Amino acid sequence: MIHSRTWLFGIALVSLWLDTAACSAAEPPVECTAREPLFADEVWAKIGERTCLNCHNPHGDAAESKFLLEDATRDAAALERNLKAFTAMAAIKKDGASRLLAKVSGTIKHGGGAVLKPDTSGYRILERFVARVDGKTKPFVDPAAFVPGPYFSGVAMATPQRQLRRVTLSLAGRLPTAKEFEAVEKGGVAAIESILDAVLKEDAFYVRLQEGFNDIFLTLGYPGNADDALSYEHFEKTRHWYQKHDFSALPEKDRQKAGWALAATYRKALLREPLELVSHLVRHDLPFTGIVTADYIMVSPYTARGYGIFDSVKDKFKNPEDPFEYIPAKIKALKDRSNKVQPSATGDYPHAGILTTFQYLRRYPTTVTNRNRLRARMYYQHFLGIDVMALAPRVTDAAAVSKKFKTPTMEASECVVCHKTIDPVAGLFRDYFNEEGYYGPRKEGWFTDMFGPGLEGVDLPKPEGWRSLQWLGQETAKDPRFAVAMVEHVYYILMGRRPLPAPLDIEDPLFTPKRRAYIEQRKAIHDIAEKFAKDGFNLKYVFRALIASPFYRADGLTEVAKHPNRRAELDDIGLVHMLTPEQLERKIEAVFGKKWGRLASDDGDSKFALLYGGIDSKEVTQRATDPSGAMGAIQRIMANDVACRNVAVDFERPAAERRLFPGIEPAVVPDGKPETEKQIRAAIVHLHEKILGRTLAADHADITRTYELFTAILADAKAKKGLSDREAYSCQADPGKHPTLDPHYTIRAWRAVVTYLLRQDDFLYE
Amino acid sequence: MNRRNFVQLCGSAGLGLAVPTGLEAVEEPRPYEGPFYVVFNASGGWDTTYMMDPKGVNDINRLYKVGDIVTEGNHKVAPIAKHIKDGMSTEAFFKKYASELLVLNGMDYSVNNHDPCSRYMATGKLDSLAYPTFAALVAGCKGPKCPLAFLTFGNYSATGNIVPMARIPYLNSLNLIANADGVGGNDRSPYHDAFVTDRIEQALAKKSEADGISPRLPRAERGQSMLYAAQLNSKTLKWVTPFVPKTTPKERLSQQADIALASFKGGVGVSANLSIGQFDSHNNNDPDQMKLIPELLAGIDYLLKRAEELKIREQLVVVMQSEMGRTPNYNNGNGKDHWSIGSAMFLGRGIKGNRVVGATDDKQFLVPLDPKTLQTDAKAGIRVRPEHVHAALRSLAGIDGHAFAKQFPLEVPDAEQLNKLWG
Repeated sequence: MIHSRTWLFGIALVSLWLDTAACSAAEPPVECTAREPLFADEVWAKIGERTCLNCHNPHGDAAESKFLLEDATRDAAALERNLKAFTAMAAIKKDGASRLLAKVSGTIKHGGGAVLKPDTSGYRILERFVARVDGKTKPFVDPAAFVPGPYFSGVAMATPQRQLRRVTLSLAGRLPTAKEFEAVEKGGVAAIESILDAVLKEDAFYVRLQEGFNDIFLTLGYPGNADDALSYEHFEKTRHWYQKHDFSALPEKDRQKAGWALAATYRKALLREPLELVSHLVRHDLPFTGIVTADYIMVSPYTARGYGIFDSVKDKFKNPEDPFEYIPAKIKALKDRSNKVQPSATGDYPHAGILTTFQYLRRYPTTVTNRNRLRARMYYQHFLGIDVMALAPRVTDAAAVSKKFKTPTMEASECVVCHKTIDPVAGLFRDYFNEEGYYGPRKEGWFTDMFGPGLEGVDLPKPEGWRSLQWLGQETAKDPRFAVAMVEHVYYILMGRRPLPAPLDIEDPLFTPKRRAYIEQRKAIHDIAEKFAKDGFNLKYVFRALIASPFYRADGLTEVAKHPNRRAELDDIGLVHMLTPEQLERKIEAVFGKKWGRLASDDGDSKFALLYGGIDSKEVTQRATDPSGAMGAIQRIMANDVACRNVAVDFERPAAERRLFPGIEPAVVPDGKPETEKQIRAAIVHLHEKILGRTLAADHADITRTYELFTAILADAKAKKGLSDREAYSCQADPGKHPTLDPHYTIRAWRAVVTYLLRQDDFLYE
Repeated sequence: MNRRNFVQLCGSAGLGLAVPTGLEAVEEPRPYEGPFYVVFNASGGWDTTYMMDPKGVNDINRLYKVGDIVTEGNHKVAPIAKHIKDGMSTEAFFKKYASELLVLNGMDYSVNNHDPCSRYMATGKLDSLAYPTFAALVAGCKGPKCPLAFLTFGNYSATGNIVPMARIPYLNSLNLIANADGVGGNDRSPYHDAFVTDRIEQALAKKSEADGISPRLPRAERGQSMLYAAQLNSKTLKWVTPFVPKTTPKERLSQQADIALASFKGGVGVSANLSIGQFDSHNNNDPDQMKLIPELLAGIDYLLKRAEELKIREQLVVVMQSEMGRTPNYNNGNGKDHWSIGSAMFLGRGIKGNRVVGATDDKQFLVPLDPKTLQTDAKAGIRVRPEHVHAALRSLAGIDGHAFAKQFPLEVPDAEQLNKLWG
C-alpha cells in the first residue's frame, strides 16, 4: 500500500510559538537568526510549515530528500535546524540561481512540481531570504513593528466566584450552592477544583455531556424511526417487541395510546444508546478510547428487548422497568433469517465502541457509489480531528482526469492524494455496505478498484478481517491525534465553538498575530492531550484542564487593546458565547426555579429552538452563534415573559422564601430618604448578582443605571393619569384567585428591571 | 473611548449595529427596499443536460435525442415535459422566462466533492473556510440593520462574521416573533406600558454605550454589540406581519420563498439562500432528476409570481445554481456521478436575458471562454470558475468596493473579469 500520511500531516500540522530562547547554545555554527522575523514569521510560517513540511519530513513523500524539515511543535530547537536546512538549500547555486528558488518554482526537477509561482508573495519571501543568505541584505527588525509580549499579558481572569458560577451553570445547569460559594470565598480558585470534581459526577453534567457530543456525532438525527436501526434481517422477531406488549391490565380505550407511548419511549431509549456510551465512559472514569474500542454497547431494559437479549441481562439492571437505565452488554454474532451467522472468532458481534453501533452507521449511510467514503470521512473528523473535505486541493481539470483514467482514484495523482488515505478506511467498514446501517457485506466482495482496507499505510491484517472496525478502533486509540481530537471536542462543548483553524492567507497583514493565536491555542490543546493520554484517557481530566486554562478563565482586559496585531492575537480569547436554547432554558430554571419551556423541552420539541439557533441533528446540524434579528426578538419575548411569570409570584412569597426580592417590599418607593435609596439599591445589587452573576457595589455605575430605570418608571407612572392599580392580568401571581394589586406601580417597575437585566449579555451569553 | 470611536469600532467589527443616536430617542430604522438577492441551490448536483445545457448525443441522455432539443430565443432547452409528473418542465420554465434568463454553461468547479464544491459555489473561494456566501456578503454590505438580512434554509451558509444568519423554519414563525412586546404576540396586550418599554430601551442604550467605553475582550465587544443590534433591530419585524400569507403552500421551496418574500416586502431582509436537496442521483439519475428539476423550477416560478404580486419583482436578483454537475455517462446503477463541469442561471435586476454564455462540448467538457468578448475560445480562453462569477456578482450588486468585500478578496486578475456578463 502506498504510504499515505503525508497529506494528513499537512492538514494536522501544528507548531509551537517559539520564544526568543529558541537558539541553542550547543549548536552555535549557524547564525542565531531563527527568531528573526524573516525566517520565523515569513519563510517558516508562510512557506516552510505550510508547504514544504508536508512532504519534506521523515515520513513524507520526500523522506528520501536531503532537504528534511521538522515540525517545530514539540521541539523548540527544530526551528534552528529548519533554518539550517533552508540556508543550505538557498546557498547552493546552479547557473547563478539558488537551488531553493529553482526547486519551488519547478524550473529544476522537484518531486512536488512547481509549488510557488515567481509572482507570488511566497516566492518573493524566499527571494528575500536567498538575498539574505547571499549577504546582499542584512538582518533587519523594523523598530516600529509590533513586538509581541507575553500572550495573556493584560488579560484579566475571572474571579473565583465568577468562575464558580460559570462552571456550575455550564456543566450542571445550576447556580452555585451557598456552601460552594463559601468554599471559594475561603479557598479562592483552588477550591473550585474539588467542587468541579463533584460537579462532574452530577447527573445534570451527563445531560450536558450528551448534548455536547450529539452536536459532534449527531447520532440523534439518524433517519426514520429509531427502531429502524435494528435490521429486519437480524432482529425481525425482537425489534418491535412493544407491539406484543400485554396491555390487558388497562381499559381497552387506553391501550392504543399506551402502546404509542411505549413505542415512543423505546425509540427514545434506542436513540440515546451511543451517547450513553459517552456517559458511561466518563462517569466511571474509563479510558475514553472506549468510544472506539469498547467491546460492548449500552442497553436499557427496553432496548435490550429490541436486540433480544433482555432475559440474559435483566438481572444486571437496578430497575428492569426503567427504560433509561443503561448497562454495558454484548450481542451475539448476527444471524440472518436463513440462519447464516456473521463470522466471528469469539461468537460475539465485534463491537468497536460507537463505530459499530447501528445508530452511528445509520446516521452516516453509504451508497453503491459512495462506498463507505462518507463513513471514512466522519471517522477522520470525529476521532482524529481531521476534516478531509475542509480544503480539497484544486484540480486543473477534474473532468478530464475523470475521463483519462479508468480508475482515477487509484491512478490520477490529483485523486490518489486523498483516496489513498480515505479508501482504506472506507474498506474497513465493508461489512456494513448498505444505506440502512445494517450488517451486510457486499455480495460480490469488497471493491478491487479502490485501495484495500487498512489505515494509513498499514493493510488490514487478514486474521483481523472479521473484526475490521475493532482493529481500526484499536489503531485509533494508539494514534496521538485521537487524544488531540477529543480535547478539541471538549473545547467545543465548553467554549461553544471549534478551536481556531490555521490562518492560510499569507497576504493577510494580520497573518502573524493570527498565527500566534492559533499556535498558542494549539500548544494548550496539545499539552492537555498529552496529559490526557498519560492520565489513561480520562475525559474528566480534559474538562478540568481546559476549565483551568486561561483560554476559559479570560474574562476581560485590564486596558484597551489598541494595536490591530494585539487585537488579532486576542480575537478568540475568552469564553463569551451566546447560550444555546438548551443552555438558556437551564439557566432560566437555575435562576428562577422553573423553566420557561419555549426554548427547549424534554421531548426536543420547541417552537423557538430552531429559531434560536438550535439544531435538529438532521437537516440543521450547526448551531447559530451570533444573534440574528429573529433571535433578538426571541430574547425580548423571553425577557418580557420570564419577568412576567416570576416577579409578582416572587412578591407573593414570604420574604425569606423569595429568590428575587428577599429584601424589599412593593410598598417601598423612593422618597428622598437615604435609607430608602439604600434599600432599593440593595435589592438591585441582589438582582444583579442573582440574574447576571455580577457582584457589584451599591454605588457601581451599573447599579445606578438600574436604580435610575426603576425610579424613572415610578416617576413617569406617578405623572400619568388613568393607570391601573393592578399588575397586568397576564403577569399576576394567581389571577384566578385574586388580583395582584400594585398601587405604587412598583411591581411593574421591578418587572421592568428584571426584563432589562434578562436582555443583557451577562445573562444571554456564557 | 468616545462615542465616535465606539461607532467606528462596531462598524469595523462588522456588527450591523444600530447604535442609538440619542439616549432619549432611538432612531427607528428604515425599511430596506431592495434590491433583494435570492440564491437557489439544487443541493447534491443537478443534471444540467436536462436543463439549460442539453446534449442528446454520446449516450449522455436516455430521455431524449439531440433532435428533440427545444429552442427558446437564444436558449437551447432539454425536453423533459413528457417525463415529469409534477412541477414545472424545463420547456415551460424557459418558455416563460427565456427572455429574462442568462445561462452560464461550462463552469469549472475544479473539484468533485460536495462540501468543497458547495463552499466554492457559495463563496467563490475554494481554499478557505472563512469566506461568507454571496448572500451573506451582500446582506452584510447592504442591510446591516435588517433583522433578517441574511435568511438561509440550508446549504453552505457561512457568514464570515459580517452578518448573523437567520433561520426561519416555518412561515408562522414570522408571526411568533413579529411582536415581541405583546403577550402571546398580541400588540393589543403589551407586557409593559409603552412608557416603561421606552425606559427599558433607553436604559439598554445607555448600558451599551457605557460598555463601549470600558476595555473588553474583542469577543465580548462583538458579542455585546451584536446582541444590542439584534434586539433593537428586531423591533422592525412587525413590518413583516402584513405580508405573511394566511395559508402555507405545500411545496418546500414555495414555503421558503414565502418567508423570504415576506421579509423582503417588510423591509427587514436583503438576501435569502433557498435550497432543496437530494439531487445527488448516483442511482437512477433520470427518475430522480425528473422529480427534482421540475420541483426546483416550480419553486423559482412561485417566487417570481409571488414577487410580482407583492410588487417587488423588479427588485429581485435570482441566482440558480448547484454545487456540481453530473457525468456524461450513466453508471451501472443507472445513476450519474459527480462531474466538475456545470452551469448556473441568473435573472433579475441588472441582468440582460435571452443570453447564453460559455459552453460545453459534445462530451460535456468545458470550452474555454474569452472573458472580454464572452465568446468561446478553445485556445486562448480561460476556464470560468466560481470566483469569476462571484466577482461579477459583487460588481452587479455594487459591493465590490465595500470594505467587507475587500476583507474577502477573490483575486481575479483584471484580464479575467467577466465585465460584460450581465449584458
